[in-house]
Amino acid sequence: MAYLPDFGILAQLLINGILLGGLYALIAFGLSVIYGVAGILNFAHGTILAMISIAAAILFESLRLPLAVILLVLTPAGFVFGWVFHKVLLSPLQAREPHQRTIGTVLVTVGALIIIGDVTAVLAGAEQRVIRLSSTFFEIGSVIVSGTQIGILVAVSVSMIALHLFLVMSWTGSSIRAVAQNRIGAALCGADASNTSAMTFAIGASIVAIAGVLYVISYPVNPYSGFPLTVKAFSIILLGGVGNLPGTLIAGLFLGVAEAFVAFYWAPQWAPAISIIIVLGGLLLFPGLARTRRAA
Amino acid sequence: MTFLQEKRAIGIAFIAAVLIAFVPSFATSYTVSMVMLLLLFYTLAQSWDWVGGELGYVNLSHYASYGIGAYVFAIAYTNGAHFLVALALASLVTSVIIALISIPLFRLQGEYFAFATLALLPLFDILASNLKSLTNGTEGIILPAEQVTGIAFLLMVGLAFLTFVTTTLIVHSPFGLVVRSIRDDEEAAESIGVRVLPRKIMVISAAIAATAGGIHGWYLSFIDPGTMFGLDVALVPIAMALLGGSALLWGPIVGVIVLVFLNQWLLAYFSILHAAFYGLIILLVGRYLPGGLLRSSLVRRIKFVSLLAKEHHERSSVSGNIVEGLDLTPPASGEQDVALECRSVSKNFGGNAALSDVSLTVRRGEIVGLIGANGSGKTTLFNCISRIYDVSSGEVLVDGQPITGLRKDEVAHAGIGRTYQIPRSFERMTVRENVTTALLGRSDPPRFEDALNEAARFVCYVGLGHHLDDSVSTLSAQKRKSLELARALATSPKILLIDEVASGLTPTEIDQFVAHIRELRDRYGLTIIWVEHIFSALAQVVDRVVVLEQGKVIANGTLDVVLTDEAVQRSYFGAKAAETEPC
Amino acid sequence: MLTVSNLQVEIDRLQILWDVNLKLEVGERVGLLGANGAGKSTTMAALLGMARANGGSIHLFEDDITNAATTRILAAGIGLVPEGRQLFPALSVEENLRMGCFLRAHRKAYRERLDYVYDLFPILKEKSRQMAGDLSGGQQQMVAIGRAMMGQPRLLLLDEPFIGVAPIVVTTVLDVLRRIAGNGVTVLLVEQNVHRALEFVDRAYVIDNGRTVHEGQSKALLNDGAFAEKFLGLE
Repeated sequence: MAYLPDFGILAQLLINGILLGGLYALIAFGLSVIYGVAGILNFAHGTILAMISIAAAILFESLRLPLAVILLVLTPAGFVFGWVFHKVLLSPLQAREPHQRTIGTVLVTVGALIIIGDVTAVLAGAEQRVIRLSSTFFEIGSVIVSGTQIGILVAVSVSMIALHLFLVMSWTGSSIRAVAQNRIGAALCGADASNTSAMTFAIGASIVAIAGVLYVISYPVNPYSGFPLTVKAFSIILLGGVGNLPGTLIAGLFLGVAEAFVAFYWAPQWAPAISIIIVLGGLLLFPGLARTRRAA
Repeated sequence: MTFLQEKRAIGIAFIAAVLIAFVPSFATSYTVSMVMLLLLFYTLAQSWDWVGGELGYVNLSHYASYGIGAYVFAIAYTNGAHFLVALALASLVTSVIIALISIPLFRLQGEYFAFATLALLPLFDILASNLKSLTNGTEGIILPAEQVTGIAFLLMVGLAFLTFVTTTLIVHSPFGLVVRSIRDDEEAAESIGVRVLPRKIMVISAAIAATAGGIHGWYLSFIDPGTMFGLDVALVPIAMALLGGSALLWGPIVGVIVLVFLNQWLLAYFSILHAAFYGLIILLVGRYLPGGLLRSSLVRRIKFVSLLAKEHHERSSVSGNIVEGLDLTPPASGEQDVALECRSVSKNFGGNAALSDVSLTVRRGEIVGLIGANGSGKTTLFNCISRIYDVSSGEVLVDGQPITGLRKDEVAHAGIGRTYQIPRSFERMTVRENVTTALLGRSDPPRFEDALNEAARFVCYVGLGHHLDDSVSTLSAQKRKSLELARALATSPKILLIDEVASGLTPTEIDQFVAHIRELRDRYGLTIIWVEHIFSALAQVVDRVVVLEQGKVIANGTLDVVLTDEAVQRSYFGAKAAETEPC
Repeated sequence: MLTVSNLQVEIDRLQILWDVNLKLEVGERVGLLGANGAGKSTTMAALLGMARANGGSIHLFEDDITNAATTRILAAGIGLVPEGRQLFPALSVEENLRMGCFLRAHRKAYRERLDYVYDLFPILKEKSRQMAGDLSGGQQQMVAIGRAMMGQPRLLLLDEPFIGVAPIVVTTVLDVLRRIAGNGVTVLLVEQNVHRALEFVDRAYVIDNGRTVHEGQSKALLNDGAFAEKFLGLE
């Protein structure tokens, strides 16, 4: 055999892919939980993330705040933003019949997407921003990993575990899962669907906040970067199954790794197209994916 | 809207088109580009609404068809093709691409469909930016500098007019009615024999958008990925259609005019944040007016507007009293003796056995009652027969032919008609339209005008004559059940499955209903299976009764015999009743 | 304990209940009988604040709970085992039961109540980690009853609890219900199977087309040989 794969490169790509995939999965988690419970297609999802990423970058640059503080400030901010957003704009839509509800949600979240993007651009400027952290590099075999990357990986894992524990162990978390599966049954237990939806949206927004801060450490963000990320999150959910967090994680990692490989072996500009091709290909090859996939 | 009103609408549009065509000869170039933009967005918004509003599938990738069309045109044109050829290619190639993509897409429904279409936009942006040899990448394609504004403008006017005419044709045709039934309840529509490939409409919609892209690209003389697939603009035509009023003939036009002028006004007065205000309008409409401007009670107060805002409903051109009797042909003699047979049908949901090994035979012309306590599996059995559910095991045969693997519409054509326990009417249609759809769903459908008239017969038969052209949403639950029956009969079934129609009826109404059942069998040769709780009703007309308990058949015989059966008594009345009388 | 007077309920522009009157004393076992569509489930929903009353009243002891919020009614001590069970299919048995204690006031007693329910239905303890959606009909019904009991209700409403439940399991469940009633819980049972209902309850109401039309002691109704036939409309 003349050709032997360079395991070093494969490993490096895998690591990078997992890192990227982990972030994608975290972004998708927020959307998954929101859609599973509140039934809302939030087109502004990625745009909210971009807004928070930029806020994080500004806090870092101008106030020189340490990352931990930024996270501590922006996560609750995201929570409040999500709560208000839902209560004011989205919860009144739930009372409508399904077709009107879909249309209303599309218009409201698309409108929000445009507004948030524009306001952010006006207040913070339309240029790319990123948080540059100096970091040490570790060598494991021929693979190079930066301390920042490890930190992000840890943060993502911690967030996911925390979310999982929250959903499974806390009363609120259980009520979120309950409402997603049976609104009537949940109402009988005193878990009001409307409040639960607001709570879920707020939690989804805080996850987005965390993901936003972590994202801007690795990749540059401008006020209009959000929409492509929303698209990616949607694709991941479609593959992984709404409300199915392990499935979403796997789908996210798969996407991240696929993008890393495509970027290296083919060309970097094609990488973002992968998610879409995977989704369409998946639907073509596995029609079973298409049945309404709520957390069964 | 009758044919006359349809002609009037097309007439108005034609006059408008002619007038607009003269704009370039006297207006400033600014005005010309504005009007061009209006025409473009109208074409895009309206063609979107065929899929999004009429069919009910929210397609967020519509703008991509515009972009693909522009690119195909540009590539063909810069390679020497005549502009008309390039336009035709643009339309054709895009149609093929969209047709292929639709195959996996239409496996999804509702919001999942919207998710997936959203993903297509950035895909084409990337393709356009990176297939450099074909598209020149992000630098874009520059078209030869010629004075084409005049012709391009006229072409766009023509296309917009064509779009309008196509809309009236789709909306006012039997095809349009059938399409709207899918929007209202796709499964119920299939059960009455409707089969429409949503792909067809999607492709026509894409073809129009692509042609618009070609014309506009030619007009701009320059295309690049940002302009053609720009995410910031991609959702705007959709917002326009929704803002004006989806599924209304004049809705998209209103939406386009409002938003284009709003945008210009904002650009003039708000140098910053104009996009944000634009987004705000869209948001507010979504929050407060999801039916669109033309449907809001406030806007409708303006006389002229309320004319535009009329929802389109089909009426018959024939007025006057309705003829008695139904137009149902009794089956020819010599047909199979056994009309319906279930062989060991089982249906499981997870750990729950809803039906276990159910076997029954129904002969032609029998009226069979199907009884059993709540949860015994009666509706599940109906759902298995009409293919709402797949059976877990066993077979269902109609006239000796297995139907277990057929599609719902094929089952309807095989002769199964049914009503649903909770009525599944087409909410946004009138009573007449509901029944007409069923007539159009037949394997050999009548002409549209005839169908509209015929529908009246069925509607009067069930006693809803007064409500012929009323919207279904105004009907009580009881009347909807009657509509269910009318609609099921209109499919010209051989076997009719009736699911609990009598509860809530007065004794007189029950008697009338029973008389109908008898007539349906005696005069029209229908075979009937009737799920019912009210035994006095069943007793008057059934030949035989089948009793289900917990998904199993526990008795099968005449009503008196069955009711004295111990197992049945236990199931309904409890053990005590089976014992001897008290002294 | 519970007084329902001239209750009128409208759903989706349709008047379902026109005049429902019920009276329950503490510790009683009362049945609610009637044909399909007569309004039994709607009455249950109204009792729990899940259907809007547009006339009449509901009083729990001295408390007017007509159109009160469901959370308030739950806190006051009414629990419902709904028709169709309405369980959470992808949550485990224990998680389903846990939701029964969701109300803040009930959370403290969670462990204690869980032990109580497992004592009532030992098989649920065996299957505590299984997904509720995978259980048989009878077991699911046990979970539904258990979930309602987690909230320590003083009044337990049951809406057709024996649909899709095998006869052997019905006996077991009835025994448990007797135990529950024996513990001082007042029970209102909606049931289609007349005899099964009358064997369990002390007296029963009959609802027809949204009105209470009949009331009687179980013994009297049982001895009325023609009652079941009349009631089911065979004449």
